[in-house]
Amino acid sequence: MVSLVLVSHSRSLAEGLRDMVAQVAGDSVPIAIAGGTEDGRLGTSAPAILDAIRSVDRPEGVLVLLDLGSAALSLEMALEELTSGERERVVVSEAPLVEGAVLAGVQASLDADIATVAEAAASAASMTKLPR
Amino acid sequence: MPEIRLTVVDPSGLHARPAARFVQLASRFASRIVLRHDGREADAKSLISMLGLAVRPQGEISLAADGPDADQALASLAEELGPFVMPVTGRP
Repeated sequence: MVSLVLVSHSRSLAEGLRDMVAQVAGDSVPIAIAGGTEDGRLGTSAPAILDAIRSVDRPEGVLVLLDLGSAALSLEMALEELTSGERERVVVSEAPLVEGAVLAGVQASLDADIATVAEAAASAASMTKLPR
Repeated sequence: MPEIRLTVVDPSGLHARPAARFVQLASRFASRIVLRHDGREADAKSLISMLGLAVRPQGEISLAADGPDADQALASLAEELGPFVMPVTGRP
């Protein structure tokens, strides 16, 4: 099953989102989080992102979602540390974090492949929220 | 194409968790399964499509399936949705 890595500037945001995805998608989807800096401040940490990716690395692939573009720098540093084999299994999503994580989580729970899970996450950008 | 009509009785309407359960179950069937509400139609195998319907409490939905396992799919889905819906009675 495809796994998810949730990267946020806030640890509590990442933890809360992990709980939410687990409740909606079910416990079968592996989810790792990297939230905040190593000393507990708001921010992102390349080592924490690297650890998170490796903790849920699996043959089916890992989809990484992030909250703000500034996390992309830490993410890039983390990705550079991966072996080429590991790197091939990782897909980074442009999707909005909360909506993307929920949609990707449910898609992953259906045993979909990484391309389909990434596509579900990407569809979050056009998701309507208010009833029409 | 078999179709069943249901009323959503859950006080939160068709919210994320039941919708996700629904998608997970619908995906096990080969049939095309659609959920209709208020003149719109959603693919029951797609969460974004389902949530886009924004079904409110007491909203009426109909569930239709087309394919080799259509009857079985509708029966299973109606059962899965059990706590959230009630059959619409006295109507075709």
